[in-house]
Amino acid sequence: MTEKELEALRSRLQQELALLKDLKALEEFRVRYLGKKGQITRILKGLKELPPEERRRIGRLANQLRDELEEALRARREALLRAAEDETPGVDLTLPGRPFELGRLHPVTQTLQEICAVFLRLGFDLARGPEVETDYYNFEALNIPPDHPARDMQDTFYLRGGLLLRTHTSPIQIRTMQTRRPPLRIIAPGKVYRCDSDVRHTPMFHQVEGLLVDREVSFTDLKGLLTYFAREIFGPRTRVRFRPSYFPFTEPSAEMDIECVLCGGAGCRLCEYTGWLEILGAGMVHPQVLRGVGYDTEKWQGLAFGLGVERIAMLRYGIDDIRLFYENHLRFLEQF
Amino acid sequence: MRVPVSWLRELVETDLSAEELAERLTLGGLEVEEVEEAYETLGPVVAAEILEVRPHPEADRLAVCEVTEGKRRYTVVSGAPGLAPGLKVALALPGSITFSGMKIQETRLRGVSSQGMLLSPYEAGVSGEKDRLLLLPSQAELGRPFYEALGLAEPVLEVAVTPNRGDCLSLLGVAREVSALTGAPLRLPEIPELPEGDLRELIDCYIEDEEGCFRYAGRLLEGLQVRESPFWMAQRLWMCGLRPLNNLVDVTNYVMLELGQPLHAFDYEKIRGKKIVVRAAREGESLRTLDGELRELPPGTLVIADAEGPVAVAGVMGGEESGIREETRTVFLEAAWFNPVRIRRSARNLKLSSESSYRFERGVDPEGVLRALDRAAALLAEVAGGRVIPGRVDLYPRPWQAPEIRLRRTKLESYLRWGRPLSEAASYLERLGGRVELREEEILFRPPSHRGDLALEEDLIEEVARLYGYDRLPVTLPVGELFASSVEREDRLLSRVREALTALGFYEVINYSFIDPRALEALELAENDPRLRPLPLANPLSETQSVMRTTLLPGLLETARFNFFREVGRLRIFETGKVFFPQEEGLPEERLHLGLLLLGDFEPAFWGRRGRPADIYDLKGVLEVLFQTLGVEGLALEPHAREVFLRRGLSFRLLAQGKEIGFAGEVKNYLRTRYELPAPVLVAEMDLTACLALPEAPRHYRGLPRFPATSRDLSVVVREELPAGEILQFLSRLDIPYLERVEIVDVYRGEPLSAGEKSVTIRFVYRALERTLTDEEVNALQEEVAAKVLAAFEARRR
Repeated sequence: MTEKELEALRSRLQQELALLKDLKALEEFRVRYLGKKGQITRILKGLKELPPEERRRIGRLANQLRDELEEALRARREALLRAAEDETPGVDLTLPGRPFELGRLHPVTQTLQEICAVFLRLGFDLARGPEVETDYYNFEALNIPPDHPARDMQDTFYLRGGLLLRTHTSPIQIRTMQTRRPPLRIIAPGKVYRCDSDVRHTPMFHQVEGLLVDREVSFTDLKGLLTYFAREIFGPRTRVRFRPSYFPFTEPSAEMDIECVLCGGAGCRLCEYTGWLEILGAGMVHPQVLRGVGYDTEKWQGLAFGLGVERIAMLRYGIDDIRLFYENHLRFLEQF
Repeated sequence: MRVPVSWLRELVETDLSAEELAERLTLGGLEVEEVEEAYETLGPVVAAEILEVRPHPEADRLAVCEVTEGKRRYTVVSGAPGLAPGLKVALALPGSITFSGMKIQETRLRGVSSQGMLLSPYEAGVSGEKDRLLLLPSQAELGRPFYEALGLAEPVLEVAVTPNRGDCLSLLGVAREVSALTGAPLRLPEIPELPEGDLRELIDCYIEDEEGCFRYAGRLLEGLQVRESPFWMAQRLWMCGLRPLNNLVDVTNYVMLELGQPLHAFDYEKIRGKKIVVRAAREGESLRTLDGELRELPPGTLVIADAEGPVAVAGVMGGEESGIREETRTVFLEAAWFNPVRIRRSARNLKLSSESSYRFERGVDPEGVLRALDRAAALLAEVAGGRVIPGRVDLYPRPWQAPEIRLRRTKLESYLRWGRPLSEAASYLERLGGRVELREEEILFRPPSHRGDLALEEDLIEEVARLYGYDRLPVTLPVGELFASSVEREDRLLSRVREALTALGFYEVINYSFIDPRALEALELAENDPRLRPLPLANPLSETQSVMRTTLLPGLLETARFNFFREVGRLRIFETGKVFFPQEEGLPEERLHLGLLLLGDFEPAFWGRRGRPADIYDLKGVLEVLFQTLGVEGLALEPHAREVFLRRGLSFRLLAQGKEIGFAGEVKNYLRTRYELPAPVLVAEMDLTACLALPEAPRHYRGLPRFPATSRDLSVVVREELPAGEILQFLSRLDIPYLERVEIVDVYRGEPLSAGEKSVTIRFVYRALERTLTDEEVNALQEEVAAKVLAAFEARRR
């Protein structure tokens, strides 16, 4: 074995190695050259038969070749193994994943929470009240005496003993003012009831009531507060407008419209071609209401607002039938 | 309130278009819901061309026409003169209602089918001509609304009047608003001078009930002819949505629409004793009203009576007997100002509401009574050919006096951040028509008599704000002090429930708070169960929503049924909401409940696995997680529920510090099949209000282990009936050193065990805090425990 021959063997081995495609071929290659009877092993074994001078020289080269080959084999093997990891027979990535499920809150609850969150950020407290109310809290304390035409504005469900299902969340205003001293800021969500049922009305729905009583609070603050609210809920570019209206428990009273979410004010069926959608009622707390709970109207002024949660949810999600909220069809609930 | 713009323009000089008026009024607080074209209320009346005219086979005076509106042919029978092919006419298609109130539908006229009607100018609401065909210009586009072809437009504003603005329930009222909002001058209708005189000989009027009637006025007219109203008047009534009847009745309605003052015309001849008393109805009195109904009058009802009894329910509806009929020649015309509350009570007690009561309830103008009376009398004389008898009744015991309202600059500034001169605010009030006195720091205002809603300083602030324009006021944010407040426990509890359950895959549902009492009965609860005594609604919408729920269960089951019948067979839902229990006195007890329902597979089927039906262990597992999450102490599950509708062996009681607060389990077949649901249906209900009484579970950190644990499994064969929980309880009493936890890891039945046996495998996990335990130590401990377990439960090792 000459140096030249060893050199030739090295280059041949390198070429052969490059052609090996799998581990089996790799192993055969190893046995062929490095196995007990392998060619290189044989060369190394045959060294002792060479003269000392040549043995040292050829031996060094042969050992070097063996080391090189072993390293090349190891590297090649590693590469093949890594490549083999990419092979995943039986796995079909187009199949859907295993089903995991998160439940969801009812769209009314979600909307309600978002509405409340806006006002909680402004330092309002949550307040609640009973759903069954007395005539006093639902009407009289809110400046709606018996035999007042304003009673026509709400169709009331009555229970025996002069009780009724609250027709709005406004009684919570009274209950809160009776138990707390001003200044105060509350937001009061809850179920309300009116005997009415069609595409736009369900006999039960949700309202959020807001009340702020302080020394210096003005109608312009009400505008600011509600404009902020509308933009938080309907987007930062939402245009709003305020119209005079009438509620017995506020004076001045207002209704707030937002620019139609569907047509952007151009006029469509949703907004009945007005370009505007009525969103909520509001106003400065009527002095009669404040006096009724013993607040001095020369010292304290208040603003209040009330809004229908379903209406806002319907506008945000494009729901056209309010009754869907209370059918609880899973195919409906899972969309939110 | 329908406001024809052409009529409105007669009362206020404005150039604004209908749409501009609508916008101004809406932003001024008088919401215009819609601008409608009056002719559109006729329905589908379109331009059509006559194609063919042939005689009617059965009737000489009728012709059969073939007409087209550009798309298809219609056969129409008509009696109109001058029919000829090529003419353009107004074709009323089925579904339209003509001016006189005729409903057009496909019909047969003397054996020939007629698919519509060719309208006369009268039936089209265009003019009073009845006996000719309404002809459209020859260039009229077929199929378009006929009024477009004629260039007619009668826009009508549909105005929503809030209960405080009764003064706007008239053309004059709306005209005043337009005037106040735009500054356009008002034009009151001209009323000729009527002759003065004394009517006392002819009619004796008296207010007995002065609390019910503040002003009572009347006039007598004679020589009247009852006939059809002139077209201009009928047309205006029609545009306002009122059906013209006859000239006498129409005049009262016309003036009511124009000036807002309801009027009533009595047939003078029918007034017995020529006497009119305004009084409260007496026990046992009744009256047949104009709608033909005989009505018992509750005592106290304000009535107009003659010498013998009631002839009208004051302000609501007249009596039939004293009403206008064809023979009526002499009329007593009434205009009054009644107490709104009394009229409202009458209307409510009699369940009878009218245009008149609606206006009286909302307050009429006390100083407008005579104007309306004279206007109506003059009109009657004009359209019914009669004569006003000289003289006028006007009983007005306590004349109206304008309140004096003060508007301080300070209040205006504080309410509106008003930075403009006080005089500007005063100028807005001036537009309302009252008396304004501007002082240094305040305005004194006496509102006009038609604005009974203005009484307080705040009312004036609203008037200034709205006339100035709400949108022009600045936008500010409130300034206030911070409050140190904390979250209510109920809210915290609720949000934890929601978080846990949605994470576990539950959907929240919301059901109505009222349920069907039969759904409660269906539970077959014990007779003394308080849930069987719900709070009933006095006026439910239906029997199925007639009592307040005492349990969430019926709602959840109904929701399951609804979904199951809509191909949703797999359901994991929860609801939180109030249930209601009546109390002896006062408000009912409202308790916040949580309900859960599982239906179908708990683990859904997919391509790699079959679905696994929900079972009691799913429900138990869910409740265990929930209990941990709630963060309150003392919640526990214990077999078995006492609820009759649950399968005893598959149910739990939910306990809060030993007190029962709910149930969980599988629904029995009798209840399940009532809701047509497949088995199993698992439910749970829990009183969250009761949880509020429990102490909050503190969250303390425990040091993490620094040395490894060692575990040993023990499989014991025990009697089938032995609950595994008993073994765990036994172990918990033993106080074994280093034992960190024990869990059941397997329960096995079958070969080689004999029937009636099961094998329970328990895993013991040992750990010392300060060192690693040796195998020998653990083995010794485990041997000791194993021996005790085997002895205690007569078990053997497997």
